[in-house]
Amino acid sequence: MTEPFSRILVYLDGSEDSVTAAMAAIVLARRLEASLTAVYVVNTRALQDLVKARIFLDIEEQEYRRDIEGDAQRYLNHVERLGLQKGVPVVPVKTAGTVHSEVRSYIQEHQMDLLVLGGISEIHSRRDELLSETDRMMRTAPCPVLVVRDSDTVWDMFESLPDAD
Amino acid sequence: MTLADILDKDLIQIPLESNTKNGVIEELTDLLVTHRPSVNREEILAAIFAREALGSTGLADGIAIPHAKTTAVESIAVVVGVTESPIDFDSQDGKGCQFFFMVVAPEHEASAHIEVLASIARATASNAFRRLLAASRSAEEVYELFRE
Repeated sequence: MTEPFSRILVYLDGSEDSVTAAMAAIVLARRLEASLTAVYVVNTRALQDLVKARIFLDIEEQEYRRDIEGDAQRYLNHVERLGLQKGVPVVPVKTAGTVHSEVRSYIQEHQMDLLVLGGISEIHSRRDELLSETDRMMRTAPCPVLVVRDSDTVWDMFESLPDAD
Repeated sequence: MTLADILDKDLIQIPLESNTKNGVIEELTDLLVTHRPSVNREEILAAIFAREALGSTGLADGIAIPHAKTTAVESIAVVVGVTESPIDFDSQDGKGCQFFFMVVAPEHEASAHIEVLASIARATASNAFRRLLAASRSAEEVYELFRE
């Protein structure tokens, strides 16, 4: 019998929840002997929207873009290190654009068969629910989606997985 | 992250007493400092005024979104205020501003900062929403408005 998932994609967005999702994905990838890719999408669409609405000046757009790209690299490096610790190579991918569209395209182009997400927060507003990138990713992903909750359990799972030799 | 995720009833002031641009910014900052005493008032004011010096954050339709990155806060904060009538904020449409959303965020929360600003822009783009905001008479009413 073949394993159910062989190419796993985890989405990082700079939140603690997304790092927890990455830890769950590392555990899963090791158990299933699957490949693991971590993707961080620099949300240039939101930046452009802020410039268009004249909330941001061009200089701010450039500054914040640099900040987010720096964050993206730091989080990808962190997840790569977590993977190495557990003997799971993590392929880091940094891209830019509209978050849910970029993730959907990556899944299609690279035939990923599981998307792992964290950070589905409590819905406080119907208006924002319609526009949440994480919700849109969950609704539009062309593959099964695993939503990771309960960080304590995930930490225990991760810690109990033996480190790589 | 959206505005509704972090909006705090204690950080909403209706009506604001000030009737000048600098006065409004100071009143919003003071409200934040009152409820988060560890926050450095002068650092926030310096960051907000430095951003205003580059160009007013008074937009159109009575909305102003003064914002800045600053080491004065440990997490992103939004302070909301509404004046009884529009005041001069050097806004981009040349009209007065009545609805103020001051957003301050630490440097390491750039993504969240952008998402919150975008969330405010989306909400306030609606004429109907702005009318409801203008009709609000308490922090509670404004809070509920953003959570609908």
